[in-house]
Order: sequence, then C-alpha cells, then structure tokens
Amino acid sequence: MRRSIVNDPDDLVAEALEGLVLSHPTMLELDAEHRYISRKQKARDKVGLVSGGGSGHEPLHSGFVGTGMLDVAVSGAVFASPTALQVLAGTKAADAGRGVVQIVKNYTGDVLNFRIAGEISGDDAIDTEIVLVDDDLASDTGEDDGPGRRGTAATVIVEKICGAAAENGMDLQQVAAVGRTVAQRSRTMSLALAAGTHPGDDEPQFTLDADEVEFGVGIHGERAQRRIPFTGADELIEQLVDPLLEELELGRGTEVLAIVNGLGSAYPLELSLAARALHRRLDTDGITVGRSLVGSYVTSLDMHGVSITLMPLEDELRELWDAPVRTPALTW
Amino acid sequence: MNESSTSSTSSTGAGRGATLGEDFGRAFITLTHETLTAAADALGDLDRRAGDGDFGTNVRTAMKGAATNIENDAPSSYREWLTAMYMGWLGVGGTSGPLFGMFFRDLAKAGSDQGPDSGEPGSDATGTPTLEQFAQALADGQATVQKYGEAKVGDKTMVDALDPAVVALKDADASDAAAALAAAEEAAIAGARDTAESTAKRGRASYVGDAAKGVIDPGAAAMALVIGAARAAAAGESSVEADWIG
Repeated sequence: MRRSIVNDPDDLVAEALEGLVLSHPTMLELDAEHRYISRKQKARDKVGLVSGGGSGHEPLHSGFVGTGMLDVAVSGAVFASPTALQVLAGTKAADAGRGVVQIVKNYTGDVLNFRIAGEISGDDAIDTEIVLVDDDLASDTGEDDGPGRRGTAATVIVEKICGAAAENGMDLQQVAAVGRTVAQRSRTMSLALAAGTHPGDDEPQFTLDADEVEFGVGIHGERAQRRIPFTGADELIEQLVDPLLEELELGRGTEVLAIVNGLGSAYPLELSLAARALHRRLDTDGITVGRSLVGSYVTSLDMHGVSITLMPLEDELRELWDAPVRTPALTW
Repeated sequence: MNESSTSSTSSTGAGRGATLGEDFGRAFITLTHETLTAAADALGDLDRRAGDGDFGTNVRTAMKGAATNIENDAPSSYREWLTAMYMGWLGVGGTSGPLFGMFFRDLAKAGSDQGPDSGEPGSDATGTPTLEQFAQALADGQATVQKYGEAKVGDKTMVDALDPAVVALKDADASDAAAALAAAEEAAIAGARDTAESTAKRGRASYVGDAAKGVIDPGAAAMALVIGAARAAAAGESSVEADWIG
C-alpha cells in the first residue's frame, strides 16, 4: 500500500501547477485553461522556447521556465501528452515574433501533438521548429521503423542550451540546430530499485525482488528489457556508464557534461555517492567531468532509481551551459 | 438553383459543379455531433475490446468541446462550422482525437474563407465547397491522417473507412451530391466492417494483437459515421444510421 499527498488524483496536476506559481509569483504565470506555465515577464525579441509533456516528471518541464531557459511549459495529465490545443496555445504564448522552438521528448503522443500544433501555428504566421530529444540508450533497438529511442534526462541539457542560445539572439534555425546537436550527442542509461506508484493507486507499476534491479528503465513506469542482480553502488553505476562510453565512443582526454539524475525517490545522499562512482569510473578511462548536475531533474513519480546522462562538451556548448539561468529548478 | 455554380458548368460536364447547399456545413456538423455523441458508448465498447478503452471518453470530450465552440463562436459559414468541430477534436488526448482534428481541418479548408457575403466566385453565401471540392478535401484529409498517423490502408485504423469513401466519391456520378455521398457512406461502412478481420499494425489495436480479432476498429467506425453525416446533410435528412456498429 502506497500513499500520496493528493486530494482528488484527477486534480493533482492542476493543483500542483497552482502551487508552483504561488511559490514563484514574480517568476511564473499559469494559464489554467490550457495548463501551461509561462514567464511572468514575457521575453521580447528572441526565439521562443516551448516544451511540455506528461506530468509526473517534475521539475521537468514547468520547473525550467524562466530567464535563460523555457518561455512556456505545457502540462498533460500524469504520463499523458498535453493535447494539440494546449500545445498550440503554449506555442502562441511563447512567440515573441522570431519563431518558436518546440522541445519534444520522443514519445508518439507528444510528437503528434507538437507537430500538429506547429502546423496550425503557421496559420498565425508563427514559424516553428521541433527539436526531438531521444537520448535513452536502453530503448535503442537499431530498427529504422520502430518508435526510436525515448527522450529522458538529456531534455534538461537541450532546454538549458537552447535557452541560452535564444537569449544570445540566435535565430530560429540556429537555436534548433544547437538543440539538435545536444540531443544527438547525449545518451542516458537508467536503473530502478523500485517502480513508482500512480497517485491514487495502491500498488506500484511493477514489483522487484530484493535481489533484482530493473536495468534500462524508462520514465513512465514501463518495464525494462532486462533485470540485473542487485549489488553495490560502484558496480551498478559502472553498468550504466559502460554502455554510454561505448555508444558515444568517448576517448581519453574527453571532457563531458554529466547528469546524475534521481528518478523520484532517490535521496540526495545516494545521488552524491552515485556521482562519486561516476567520477571514479570515468577517471580510469581518462575522461573528465567538465560540468555536472546532481539531483532529481527528470523523475518518474516516486520511482527509486537513478539515471546517468553524458554529453561530450566543446567550447560553444560549454559557454551556453554556463550562461546565466534563473528558473525554479535551475539557477546560476 | 445556386447562381454561383453556373461558372463551372460546361456542355460536357454539366454535373461537375454539383453543390452541397448553403446549409451543408451546419447540417453536417450538427449531424456529426448528434451521431457521435449517441454512438460514444458503443465506440467506447469497441475500444475496450480492441484498444486501450479511452476512445469513448475522447469522442464525448471532443463533441462537448465542439458544442462549446459552436455556442461561443456562433458559426455562420461552412468553414466556421467545420472549425468548431476540428478544434473540439484537438482538445482531446489519445492519438485518434488529434488525427480526427486534422481531418476536419482539411475539410474546413475546402470552404471559402471570404465570409458569407463575399460573393467570391465558386462559393455560395456560406462559403460551402462544391461536391468536387469536398471530395478533394476528403482526399487531402486522408493524406494528412496518414502522414501524422503513419498508417496504411489495412492497418485497422480510421483510414480503412476513409480510403474506400474517397475512392467511391471519385467514381461516383458527380451530378448528384446525395447519391455520390451515399456511395461513399456505403463504402466507408463496408471498410469499417472489414477491419474486424484485419490485424492492427498501427494505433490502438496494435498493442493487443489478436485480442482485437473480430472487433470493428472504433476509429474506422467513427469515420464511417462522419461520412454518413455528410451524406445525410447533403440529402436533407435528419439522422444517420448507426445500428451496424453493434
């Protein structure tokens, strides 16, 4: 039996968005009808950035609305895409006359509704470009006609770097191009010790024995392809990192941006320890962590697990990453 | 006789400019709303047997949204009526909701956007397309649905009802709108019925595999009802036959 801090589960998303805006009254605004969060002070003369998706992944996306990152974040129900009408309203709200980049995690419903909203925005002479985030290595089947890799924690990097690019005055095509570069260079691997539980449900989405770890898990409580034996943190993190190094072909001397991401109920002390394991593993291959985030940024309700995201850095991407940002969940 | 249709009349193709009537947009959307609202339970039941079970709810939500739009926007032209319907569909979840939205959007585009009093050549007072333009819009709608839904004919989706309707309209006698749309409705219903025997490759039923055998695809059924609403609107009738859904 799992319990959650909710009133009516059907009201969870709407009430949580209200709470977010009440907590950041000078920074955020809520359109309750279309369920999107936007900046209180609308940006001028820059490319707009809209993202969104199902709820349950917070602080993604609503926690990343603010200077240097998103203009608008659209929220669907838990793990369900926002509707095309919501995305359309959010896309229009993000437009400041220079077009809008839509950052979309690669899931069928999200892609469909953002594409449709993009097409209809054209009726209002708003140019849009989609940046698709598909970093989850575990869902890489190598097939051309499948749904492709899922979008997970690299979304934070794409939103941050596109945000900086837009603030710097880059045009629509340039912002989209840098976003696509980030998405293309980033890969993520995740594992879970326990599944999340839908608000209102008694049981988690799947159960594991004490000696099992769900390996290659996504962010919607779906089962992974594999289970591996439970073991110490150093060894678990190594098993996440090794396939990433192989896929990204990272050689000695490479500098990476790393995200050690909690999936909902991993606690900060665990994540710091996971970060230590990551650094030690990369050290042995002569790879340095130039920049990193450690915390819960892209979650799956209360799933107990961790993901590792790696992206090789270069000068332009490092500068954009370092540019100032001021949002509820990311500030420097 | 609508005088605006005279411009497209020639000695060899007297019927090519068959009109749908100034009331077509209102009647088509009103009938679509009534028919799908009444069929929502039956469609939801099909979806529980051959999909993820949310289609009945999505149909109801879309029709409620359309009704709200009609109340707020008080549509008068064909395009405004169709827009109220397509915006209703775009406010629902799932995959087929947005696809129906984009389908109706293509139908809306077939109307003149110059307003009821434009007197634009080839359009009547409500900017209603001719039968030929409407048939082309259905074909455009099919292309859009297939583009976004990535479904082919035979994949057990709404396309299986739409494709035969588009073909039937092309082959039909274009001088009689009601008869041509009746042929399209008949073909759409046959196509929808045939989905009971096909295995899903895309969409809702692809996740349940053989469990969907013997069950009509609810998206195809809904599409056939929409074509039926167009036929009834053109014929000046006030209801659509839906008992065949089961």
